[in-house]
Amino acid sequence: MHFKSVASVVILAAAVIGFFVTQSPQANAGEITVYTSLEEPEIADYLAAARKDMPDLKVNVLRMSTGDLGARILSEASHPRYDVIWGWALTNMMDPRIQALLVPYQPKGLQRMPAQFRDAGGKWFAPTGYMAALCVNTDRLKRKGLPMPTGWSDLLNPAYKGEVVMPNPASSGTGYLQVVSILQGMGGEKGWDFLKHLNVNVAQYAKSGSRPCNMASTGEYAVGASSAIVAMEAVKQGYPVKMVIPKEGAGYELEANALVAASTHKHDAERFLDWTISDSAVKLYGKYKEIVGIAGVRHSADETAVGLPADVKKVLFPMNFKQSMETRSQTLARWQREIEHH
Amino acid sequence: MSTERLPLIASLQTRWQLGKKQTEFLVAVVAILPLALFVLYPLWTILRESVLRPDGRWSLDYYARYMQDSHFRETLFNTLNVSIWATLATTAIAFGYAYALRRTKVPGKMLWHSVMLLPLFAPSLIQALGVQFILGRNGIVNRYLGTDIDIYGFWGILLANVLYGLPHAYLVLSVSLGAADARLYEAAKLLGAGGFKRFLSVTLPTARYGVLSAIFLGFAINISEFGNPMVLGGDYNVLATEIYNQVAGQANFHLGAVIGVLLLFPVLLSVAAEKWIGRRQATISSQATPYRPVRNWRIDGPMLLFLGTVALAIVAVVGVVVVASFTKLWPYNLGFTLKHYALDVPGGYGALWVSLKMSLATAVIGMVVATFAAMVVHKLSSRLRQVLYLLSVVPAAVPGMVLGLGYVLAFNNPSLPVYWLYGTVALLSLCTVYHYHAQAFLIATTGLKQVDSRLQEASHTLGGGALHTARHVTLPLIRPAMASIGMFYFMHSMVTISALIFLVSPEVTPAAVSILLLNDAGNWPQAAAFATIIMFTIAAVVLGIKALAHGAALLHKRQNHS
Repeated sequence: MHFKSVASVVILAAAVIGFFVTQSPQANAGEITVYTSLEEPEIADYLAAARKDMPDLKVNVLRMSTGDLGARILSEASHPRYDVIWGWALTNMMDPRIQALLVPYQPKGLQRMPAQFRDAGGKWFAPTGYMAALCVNTDRLKRKGLPMPTGWSDLLNPAYKGEVVMPNPASSGTGYLQVVSILQGMGGEKGWDFLKHLNVNVAQYAKSGSRPCNMASTGEYAVGASSAIVAMEAVKQGYPVKMVIPKEGAGYELEANALVAASTHKHDAERFLDWTISDSAVKLYGKYKEIVGIAGVRHSADETAVGLPADVKKVLFPMNFKQSMETRSQTLARWQREIEHH
Repeated sequence: MSTERLPLIASLQTRWQLGKKQTEFLVAVVAILPLALFVLYPLWTILRESVLRPDGRWSLDYYARYMQDSHFRETLFNTLNVSIWATLATTAIAFGYAYALRRTKVPGKMLWHSVMLLPLFAPSLIQALGVQFILGRNGIVNRYLGTDIDIYGFWGILLANVLYGLPHAYLVLSVSLGAADARLYEAAKLLGAGGFKRFLSVTLPTARYGVLSAIFLGFAINISEFGNPMVLGGDYNVLATEIYNQVAGQANFHLGAVIGVLLLFPVLLSVAAEKWIGRRQATISSQATPYRPVRNWRIDGPMLLFLGTVALAIVAVVGVVVVASFTKLWPYNLGFTLKHYALDVPGGYGALWVSLKMSLATAVIGMVVATFAAMVVHKLSSRLRQVLYLLSVVPAAVPGMVLGLGYVLAFNNPSLPVYWLYGTVALLSLCTVYHYHAQAFLIATTGLKQVDSRLQEASHTLGGGALHTARHVTLPLIRPAMASIGMFYFMHSMVTISALIFLVSPEVTPAAVSILLLNDAGNWPQAAAFATIIMFTIAAVVLGIKALAHGAALLHKRQNHS
C-alpha cells in the first residue's frame, strides 16, 4: 500500500515534469514564424509550393481570424516573436500601433504591382484581396416567392423584410467594408439614408463576416451578405446558393504582407516575402483569389463557374483605405447610434 | 470550525517550531502565490487598460465615456435580463436533476449522469449549431410542423446558455446533495413533517452552500460567455459580445477592459454571500447514517419523466449535429456520407494528441491545485482566507478572450522568470486550469463543507499524524468531489477554446482550434465531423480510465483477501 502510493506520486510527478519540459522552441535558423488571416485550404497550397521553391526554409504559420489576430499582435507588441505578417486586412494594418511594429521592405519584383497595391513608404504590399458578395439561397427565394436580387438597392424591396443578414461592422471587417463601400459610393448623407432604409429589411447583424453566408446556405435566411470567397465555397459544397456581386460595385479589402521590425530572421523573412509575389505564388492566387494585385492573372475555371466575373477590377468599388481607417471609430459610433439601435 | 487546526499546519508547527499565526500565513501564501501569478497578474495586465490613458496617466475617462452611452444601458439591461433568467433556469433544472440522481431510486443513474456531462465535452460550436438545426428558421421544428419560430435573440441565448451551464451547476449540486444524514429525515418524519416539509427543512439547509455556489457560477458564466450570443443572439447585444466588438472588431482594449471590469461585480457579491453563509452550512456529522432512498414510484415516476425530458433535449441538440456530419448536404440532401471525415486542415486528426496531452495535464494539475485551495480556505481563520476565496472564484466571471489576452500580455515578457512557458502546451494547460478554477474550487469546497471536522479532529486525537489524517480521513471523504473535478477538467479542456485561441502557437494547436478554423472557412460539416471524433475520443478515454480503476479495485480486493 505504502509502496504503491509512493510509486504513483513519483509517476505523477514525472509525468507533469516531463510535460512541462517539452518546450516549444523559437524559430531556428532557416525557419520563420508567420502570422496570417488567409484561409486554411489556400495556406496549405501556398506552403507546399513555397517548400518546393525554397527547400531549406521552414515556414511556421499561425492562422487566426482578422480581428483576433489584431488583438494578439497588439498584446504581443512589446516582444513580437514572429517575422512576417502575411495576408492580413489592410484596414487593420493601417492602424498606427501596427505600423510602428513594421519595417519597410521592397520585395524583388515589386514594380510589377500597381501603386494602389503597395505602400509608398514601403511598409506593406498587398498581392491579393477579397471582396464583398451576396449569398442568395435560391430554395428559400422560391418558397417565399422572392425575386433574385442584383445589388444592394434591390434589397430595399419590402418583400425582403426579415430575410437579409449582414455582418455587424463593429465586430467584422467584412461588415465594415460593406458599410464603407456604400457610404463612400453614395457619398455621405445619402449613404447613411440608404443604410437606414436597408436596416428595415435586415433581420440581424451577425458577429462574423462568414456567418451571414453560412446562414443563407442552411436556409435560415434568403440573403446573406459576406465575402466572395465564402460564397464560392458555399456554391462549391453544393448548397442551393447563388453568388451575387452587387451591381453598385463590390466593396473590397486588400490582404497585406509586411516585415516585422523585431524579426530575428530578417534574411529568411525577406526571402519569403519575395516569394509571395514570385511567379509560382501568383499562379496559385488565380485559384483562390478574386483580387490579385499583379497583372496577368487568370482566374481558375472553378471560380468563373460559380459566378465570378472574368474581369473583377470592373466590379470593384474604388475604396479609399486611408479614409476608411481614419474614420472608423466615428463611422461605427454613428452606425451603432442610428442604425443598430433603431 | 475555523479555529481548529489544519492537520498539515499542526505538523509544520511542530517540525519548524512556528507559531500558529506564522504557519497559517505560510500555508496561505503557498496557496495564494500560484493564483496571484496565473489569475491576478494576467488580469491586471489587461484590465489596467481601463484606467490607463494613452499618455500614461491614470483616469476614469473610459468608464465615464462608456456609461454615458445610451447603447451601454441597453446592453447592460439585456445582459442582466437574459443572465438572471438563464441562471434561475439552470439552477432549478440542475437541482432537480441532481436531486433525482442522489435522493431518489430512479433506474439508469449511470446513463442520466453521463448524459448531463455531455454539454461539457461537446464543443460549443456543436451546441449552437444544434439549437439552430432544431429551432432555427429553417430548423426541423419549423420545417416539419409548419411553425414560424424565430429564436435569434433573447430565447436563443437563454436556451444555449442554460444548456452550456447545466453540467457546471449540476456537478456542484450533485456533490452537495451527495451526502445526507438519514437520521435527520427519520427525526423529521417522526415529528410529523410531510415530504415537502422535509425537503424545506432538511434537504435545502444541507444543500444551501451548493445552491448558492451554483447560482453564483451560473450567473458569472452567463454574463461572461460570448460564444452563444455570438451565434444565436441576433441583434440582442450583451456585455460579453460587446467586449468582442471592442477588442477584436475595433482593436480598442480600453473599452474592452472597462466591460471586463464591470463583469467582475457578481464575484464581489459571491464573496459577500460566502462570508454570510459560511458558518450556517449544515454538515454531515460523524455519527451520520447514510441516507438510502427507497423505491417510491409516486416520486420516482415524475422524476424519471423529468430526467428523460432534460436528457432528451441535451442529446437531441448534440445528436442532430452528429447526424448532420454524416449527411451529404444538411438539410437539403440527407444521404449518408463519410466525406466530411476527410479533413482539410494541415495535420488533420494529429491535433487530437496535443489536446489529449494538454487535457490530461490539466486534469491532474487542476485537481491538485483546486482541492488544495479549497482545503486551505476551509480551515484558514486569518484575513487571507477572503483573499484566497476571491482569487479562487474570480475566473468564473472573466470572459475567455480577456483571460487569454491577459496571458499574452503577462507572459510574453522575457524579464519574467516564467517566460519560457510562453508558447508551450504547459501554458495552455495552466490557462485552462485557472480559467475554470472557480468551478473546480466550488466542487471541492462543497464537498468539504459537508464533512464533519470532528472526523478529522478524532483522527488527530487518536494519534494520526497530519499527513495520515489528510490521507486516510479527509481525502477519502472528498474523493468523489476530486474525481468530479478531474473529470470536469479533462472533458472541458478537450473542447475549450475562448482563452486558448490567443495562446496557440504554430507548433501547438489543439483540436478545438482546428474546429474553429474549419468553421471560419465556412466548412461547418467538417468542423462537425472533427467535433464528433473529439466527443467519441473523450468518451473512450473516460470509459477506459473507469474500467482501469474498476479493475484495479477488484485486484486490490482479491489481494487483500488472499
